[in-house]
Amino acid sequence: MKAYLMFCDRDFDIKTELCFGKETLTADLELKHILANMAQDDKAIHDACEAALFRPLQSTEEIEYRQKNLYDALQNPDTVRQLYEITVKTENKRRSSLYWLSSANLSSTFSSAIELLKIYTEMLMELRLVADSKLSSFQSYGFRNLLTMLQRELDDDYFAEVRAHLNNLKDDKGTLISATLGNYLQGVGYVLRQNNRKGFWRRWFFAPSFTIAERDHAGVTDLGKRRDRAINEVTNALAQAAEHLESFFAMLRSELAFYVGCLNLADSLQTLGMPICIPSLLPSDSKDRYCRRLYDVSLALTKNTVVVGNELDTTAKQLYLITGANQGGKTTFLRSLGQAQLMAQSGMFVGADDFFAPIRRGVFSHFKKEEDNAMKSGKLDEELARMSEIADHLEEGALMLFNESFASSNEREGSEICRQITQALVENGVEVFSVTHLYTYATAFLGDKNTQYLRAQRLENGERNFKLVPGEPLQTAFGEDLYQKFFGQSEVSERDR
Amino acid sequence: MFYSILFTTQEQHRAPRQTETPACFKDLNLDQIFTPILESKKKFELESFFYTALHDPEIIIYRQNVMRELEDDKLCALFTEFSKTVYDLGQYMNKIRSSLNSKDIWHNNYLTRGQMLDCADRYCRAISALSDGLSKLTLYSAGLRNFAEYLSAYCASEGYTELHSHVKRLRDKLSTVEYCMLIKNGTIRVRKYERQADHSKQILAIFDKFRQGNVKDYRHELPEEPHATHVEAAVLDMVAELYKDIFAVLNDFCSKYFHFEDETILRFSREIQFYLSWLDYIRPLRGAGLPFNYPKLCNTAEHLYNLDMYDLALAATAQEKIVTNNFELNAPEHIIVVTGPNQGGKTTFARAFGQVHFLASLGLCVPGREAALYMFDDIFTHFGREEDLSTLNGKLADDLVRLHELLSKSTSRSVIIINEIFASTTLSDALSLGGHMMDAISTLEVPALVVTFLDELASYGSNTVSMMSTVKEENPSQRTYKIIRKPPDGLAYAMYIAGEHGLTYEKLSRRLGR
Repeated sequence: MKAYLMFCDRDFDIKTELCFGKETLTADLELKHILANMAQDDKAIHDACEAALFRPLQSTEEIEYRQKNLYDALQNPDTVRQLYEITVKTENKRRSSLYWLSSANLSSTFSSAIELLKIYTEMLMELRLVADSKLSSFQSYGFRNLLTMLQRELDDDYFAEVRAHLNNLKDDKGTLISATLGNYLQGVGYVLRQNNRKGFWRRWFFAPSFTIAERDHAGVTDLGKRRDRAINEVTNALAQAAEHLESFFAMLRSELAFYVGCLNLADSLQTLGMPICIPSLLPSDSKDRYCRRLYDVSLALTKNTVVVGNELDTTAKQLYLITGANQGGKTTFLRSLGQAQLMAQSGMFVGADDFFAPIRRGVFSHFKKEEDNAMKSGKLDEELARMSEIADHLEEGALMLFNESFASSNEREGSEICRQITQALVENGVEVFSVTHLYTYATAFLGDKNTQYLRAQRLENGERNFKLVPGEPLQTAFGEDLYQKFFGQSEVSERDR
Repeated sequence: MFYSILFTTQEQHRAPRQTETPACFKDLNLDQIFTPILESKKKFELESFFYTALHDPEIIIYRQNVMRELEDDKLCALFTEFSKTVYDLGQYMNKIRSSLNSKDIWHNNYLTRGQMLDCADRYCRAISALSDGLSKLTLYSAGLRNFAEYLSAYCASEGYTELHSHVKRLRDKLSTVEYCMLIKNGTIRVRKYERQADHSKQILAIFDKFRQGNVKDYRHELPEEPHATHVEAAVLDMVAELYKDIFAVLNDFCSKYFHFEDETILRFSREIQFYLSWLDYIRPLRGAGLPFNYPKLCNTAEHLYNLDMYDLALAATAQEKIVTNNFELNAPEHIIVVTGPNQGGKTTFARAFGQVHFLASLGLCVPGREAALYMFDDIFTHFGREEDLSTLNGKLADDLVRLHELLSKSTSRSVIIINEIFASTTLSDALSLGGHMMDAISTLEVPALVVTFLDELASYGSNTVSMMSTVKEENPSQRTYKIIRKPPDGLAYAMYIAGEHGLTYEKLSRRLGR
């Protein structure tokens, strides 16, 4: 039984390896806020969405398959959530039932397995009832396929067979064990003793006795541990059947989880009044980009308010150089672009009015980092080492995001390193977005027809509006404004000490 | 009268201590030094001792002397064993006492009394072992000598000797007990053991003839501990019915010796870990030939130095050989400005400078061959940091906010360490802001260390010492990690390094053209 909601012909396995640089991308693009919003504290949703984001699809067919399922989910949010809830409820029931299959406790595994199978049967029935009543409102192949399968496949033979295997473990004569006192008077040196002497019961009948209370699980376990631990195989078949069903629900949950995550995020963004759109993906050899009001989803979520978006309408550009005032929205733009690219290629909607972009062979980010705390080497070395590792994974058609890279050396040399790397990337078919303060580097590509210059705006009064406009680099980053703002006119020397 | 191995008087011991990680820890990588120590000694709760810088030279010297003496391996081993055992017993006894005070048989039963007997037994053995060990040695430091005197008086006391013999009598009696359990349908019955045959042996014997070569061992690793203590306690209750006299003696013991441990000895068992954990931490480094010394502590910054100083956090992790460096400040000098090529060890040098000051203030031995260090009131650091979206501040603004905060908190008794700020702005901006910063530090007249790519700051004035990370003359891409006094020379070797990483235009093009 397969759900096939994420791929038309295979399972969505969240355990396979994620793309290179997942941790880096998560930190640089602030993806944890997006994932947290999608997940709403549900780890399964988090893991499924993370797996989708960090395994960007490479074909328009695969992306469209998910987009159609997603569109269907957006049309039928209540049903999708209901199906998902059933999988969650199943897991919660399993967890709260106190039945667990542990090899450590055989006698309870036996009864647990039976009880778990009862729970699963009941929940499979709930799934089938949803399928019976809601199938007609779905259009997408993915969801229709799942619901018809639930109707077709489910019967109770599997469990009837399992029940037929029940056996009783008889404790007919009791277990006789001798012991001496250990360091804190606990019984030690257990030896199993024979209890088939004549008059055995007559002698033992009036011996002091202790009976485990009915609800005393620990006591029951204790006796189990005292008694023989030899009967290992008896409950195996039952436990495995229960485990197969557990896996089925887990699989179904993680396939649905991605769509529920999308619904959660869509709700949050619509509440904020921020637009979402199903993006259009162009083939990977395209060099055109078009977006309207592309915004940083993570920023909107953390600020919990409407945020500024950016426009882009370019043809045949391969390098985007972004300069301008500090706190002018440059990093935000870079993040919004990286987020949208990954979201689009996972089959999600993106945070924009409109988004057309080529499919990219992976997204890579290289953001300036704090001092390397691993201390293996200095900052520049750390930056170069990171870049070198990225270079090992870059190929034609990749998207590379630089944020103030190689600024840890002085301006002249930082610029030269940057220029050489950028040029090599661009000439080898990598699309590059680069935010920089290195004036020498930024001006090195003036006049190049494949380069688009963007600049963070600074209004007449020194305020920023966080919008990027086409524009070539200016000579200063206005550090003195900031100095005045924080230190004002007060001279440090005049403070009382 | 002995009170504490960390403070000379009870009053000092009572003064409030810092419980939170000091602000400078992250930048100086002191967290990397202390975290493993504190993690491995979690139960001793040493945080406040390692987080609280001392400002009283008397206590620092008291500690330095104790630590110096504990460098003797034999003595160290003796106290390590003792401290672990006795501290754990103290913790355990608190639990046992609250159990024995409870009316609830769930907690208060023969098993708990058995645990108390076991604690008393191990306590006596630990005390005897330590006092035997110390009787063969001569101690010099005030702290350890006073403790040893205290201990020998305690061992001779009537209270202790009685406890000791009582424990032994009880153990002998209990070793004669042997019983049988019959387990059936959730009920356990108990009788004295009556020489029934060993069933397992018989079963093994029956099937022994089938043995063929090696087979996998399917037996579980099962500890001889009860799973449910209340069941074990119930069984023991029934055993006590069968051996009434012996268990009556146990009851008397527990009420008579309810508080058998000595408080001063317990305090010692915890606090001695401050020294032992530090010595454990530096032992392998010492073994690798790295120097440690007990620095002189100075109330003025007239003449401060450390010879062969190094970054301890780096030394603890680095496989490669550690390079040591000297620093020296002679009045009017009070600012060290470090420039030079990247990866030359500038940040490491800055961290080491901060580390040795903090470590010295705890009374620990510090990295270096010989040192005179400043008695500061606080250490302020500012190292480049990642942009954090939640502050919604740009990097430069963040730098300025933090610098402003640092300068306003600093007094003329502080130590300031600033590492590569203003890196997120243009050269011209960085220069003007760097100038403002130097003016402020100059006015404060505090010992300070500034790592910068701005060569101009190194020639700020007569209060400034210029130091540089250096390279090998025959091969500029090779670092020596030596930081030496010399004027800045404006050279950085970034392109060499880019080449080493295969990231020059030619090399990268070749890599991408795969």
